[in-house]
Amino acid sequence: MIELIDFYADWCGPCQMMKPVLEDFEAKHPEVKVTKVNVDDEEELAERYNVSGIPCLVLLNDGKEVARNVGAISVKKLEKMIGV
Amino acid sequence: MYDIVIIGAGIAGLTAAIYGCRANKKVLVLEGKVYGGQIINTFEIENWPGGYKISGVDLMKKIYGQATDLGAEVEFDEVLKIVDHGDYKEIVCEDEKYQAKTVILATGTDPRKLSEKQAKDAGKRAISYCATCDGALFKNKPVVVVGSGNTAKHEIKYLENIASKVYHIHHDDPIPEDAVAIFVAIGRIPGTDFVRDFVKLDSEGYVVAGEDCKTSRDGVFVAGDCRTKDTRQLVTAAADGAVAAEMAIKYLNK
Repeated sequence: MIELIDFYADWCGPCQMMKPVLEDFEAKHPEVKVTKVNVDDEEELAERYNVSGIPCLVLLNDGKEVARNVGAISVKKLEKMIGV
Repeated sequence: MYDIVIIGAGIAGLTAAIYGCRANKKVLVLEGKVYGGQIINTFEIENWPGGYKISGVDLMKKIYGQATDLGAEVEFDEVLKIVDHGDYKEIVCEDEKYQAKTVILATGTDPRKLSEKQAKDAGKRAISYCATCDGALFKNKPVVVVGSGNTAKHEIKYLENIASKVYHIHHDDPIPEDAVAIFVAIGRIPGTDFVRDFVKLDSEGYVVAGEDCKTSRDGVFVAGDCRTKDTRQLVTAAADGAVAAEMAIKYLNK
């Protein structure tokens, strides 16, 4: 299963700008499960994934990390990263 | 064929789009990442007239909505190069090619990256260019700020309330071994590499143009932080957008 984790925070501007990008992505690719993780609420999870800058998108294939992107990106770049 | 293609969807580019659309021109804005530009990192703006303490994100959402409502088209595609065909320019992007009678460069600036030596020193540790963005991820941990300007001082002050220790070093110093994150504040560089053989740049890479926003190439204009100028502020970027668009409109109506 392909899963995308979006590490974000409410106070992070670029994270807010990614919101419509991810919504657009989810609508186009229902086969990819998108999970949002607030780094303030889930510090341990952010630490476990070694999140050092946000927005941070981590791509998992059957639970294993296969790619990640730190910083805001466009839908097209996101699709390229995931390979869909 | 577009009348005006604007490269960059920050305040300069989107203001130029508003002016272009209001003059009934066919306008396309190209953006490689997300719209909004540098100001989306600012939580509270205190020097935007009429928008006291507005957030960068809220301001840019409004301006984006205004530009698209007036008819501006926006594509999220990274520009690789521009080719001059005389009466029109071809803008070559990663995915598509676009044609325009005029081009406005509004790519802003990006943070200057760590030197090779310091990057090697940093190894696998976190590197950030924005303390207010990423500082909270290093609560009660030692961090280091690289840089000697006002931004560096500002970052140090901010991080002192979060981190257990804040080291301060300059751009050629070794990075402290126990710092888990490196905050880089060593200035900014204009995003003009893709036009270095297309328009005249100064020694730092800024597009050479006066207050009329005209570049060394006919039909190509520049707006905002990537232009040679003394004052780089939100309002001056917006002002540039208006001037560059007016100049492009004049060129089109000639």
